[in-house]
Amino acid sequence: MRASGYSVTALQRHGYVFVAPTLILFSVFLIYPMLSAFDLSLFDWNLISAKRFVGLKNFRLMLQDPMVVNSYVRTLSFCALTVIATNVLAFVFALMLQSNLAKAKNFLQSLIFLPVVLSLVAVGVVWELMFQSTGLISMAVRSIFGFSPAWLTDTRAAPYAMVIIATWKSVGFYMIMYIAGLLDIPETYYEAARIDGAGFWRQLTRITVPSLRNTFVLTIVSSIIFSFGQFAIQYVITKGGPSHSTEILALLIYRQGFELYKFGYSSALSVLFFMTLLVFSVIQLKLMRAGE
Amino acid sequence: MKKSYRRRRIIRGIALNMTAVIIGLAFSFPFLWMILSSLKLNKDVLAYPVNFLPPTWNWQSYVNVFTAFPSFNFPRFILNSVFVTVCAILLCLFLSATAGYGFSKYRFRGNALLFTIVLSTVMISFEAIVVPLFIFVRSLGMQNSYWGLIIPEGLSAFGVFMMRQFFYALPNDYLESARMDGANEYLIFARIALPMARTALLALVIFHAQYVWNMLLWPMILISSPDMRVLPQGIALFKGGYNTPYPEQLAACVISCLPLVLLYLFFSKYFIKGVAMTGIKG
Repeated sequence: MRASGYSVTALQRHGYVFVAPTLILFSVFLIYPMLSAFDLSLFDWNLISAKRFVGLKNFRLMLQDPMVVNSYVRTLSFCALTVIATNVLAFVFALMLQSNLAKAKNFLQSLIFLPVVLSLVAVGVVWELMFQSTGLISMAVRSIFGFSPAWLTDTRAAPYAMVIIATWKSVGFYMIMYIAGLLDIPETYYEAARIDGAGFWRQLTRITVPSLRNTFVLTIVSSIIFSFGQFAIQYVITKGGPSHSTEILALLIYRQGFELYKFGYSSALSVLFFMTLLVFSVIQLKLMRAGE
Repeated sequence: MKKSYRRRRIIRGIALNMTAVIIGLAFSFPFLWMILSSLKLNKDVLAYPVNFLPPTWNWQSYVNVFTAFPSFNFPRFILNSVFVTVCAILLCLFLSATAGYGFSKYRFRGNALLFTIVLSTVMISFEAIVVPLFIFVRSLGMQNSYWGLIIPEGLSAFGVFMMRQFFYALPNDYLESARMDGANEYLIFARIALPMARTALLALVIFHAQYVWNMLLWPMILISSPDMRVLPQGIALFKGGYNTPYPEQLAACVISCLPLVLLYLFFSKYFIKGVAMTGIKG
């Protein structure tokens, strides 16, 4: 049916006109810079003196640079903790709000979604205040547990403070994605399960989780891409400190390029960044395919 | 038996709703705290013990932020942000609608391949290309210019994906009958397909507004001239300054959040639809 009017090739060629603007701009402003990152990573360049070809030197340096290793590990752990916390909470909240027992769903949904629309920089400013030693969170934690970590000045606590903020900021977004997924599951599945006497947990593990397989893959992968490239929270609150404990990769790329003017080295870091995301994406595709 | 079941259900309902309310309040609290703190005096913001409400209401902070800091021209930052956001959204809408339509409604050679290429740029985030993009944009003479912000921030692989999904689901009959009447392809797109895509486009507007309005990394890199700064950048640099007054800083934060919060309040339906559309199976 769909194909009926589509036999004329001349007609189909209009498609090129429609996709051309996107193809041109994407090629020039996304794909070309990506490819030239690979090229630039082979040079030493500060934008002023002449570009000098150095082969793989930047990559060799990078692997031995304790700052890079530190930053990479910090990024992975920030990313892993944020992705896990975000998705677990988002899924649980989605289940809660989709429960038949829940009241005022839209209102509560809006409250949880609110952080998503707030400006990251603004959010950084207010969380920094709350994490100060006389700030609200420190006071609250102290009154409950008797002590409070020095959230922003202790190298052991600061990375967790960043995870808390990033999670709070994005849970609402993924919660909506899970809710959309839950709404797609036919109610008849649950009716059948109830007739068979399946309780909440059985319904959850046998129907809900398997049906949401693609939603899980999509939310997890997009939260990986998003949290891996996090920049604003750390930039605004800690500037990577204390003693580089929150210096995630995006911040290091920015520093090496635009504070130290090592553009070749910074590009090599960008290549590392991109290749890591590429690996995640290939895994995602594999998972998606396996699910079909 | 039946009675105790019903009672259990009621108790569970109360527990669930109370938990949900507490979570909801906890999630929205930092924004409330931002507003309350912006209305305190500088000495009260971090005072011990914590003042929940401002002991003295300091409305002056919202005036000061616009007038008291000659090196931080916040009115200008706001205008810059608004202009860049509006233009980047228009660009994004244009590209997403045309490409989404082209990819979904025409079966030209290389369609699948080209679409895969466009979609794979989802992985190319600013962080991965800042250095080469900066060098390239600078070589075009677009450093410290609106265009340098607008074009890269107007590109969205997700937008193309979303519009393709939408047009794919749109029945061809409407287009066919217009074709029978002899309308040309571009007229069909502009007069028939585009108006039908209003909801999807509005979702995309809200979605992309949030991305562009809050963008920090790219402006930090591209813009060095104080007059060209955008609002998030202004706040970040203002905060980095020596002895920044908290209430004014927070007032700027509240101002920077307001447009999107209002947009969200009025169009939350579309906003949520936009997020949900990311989950559409391709």
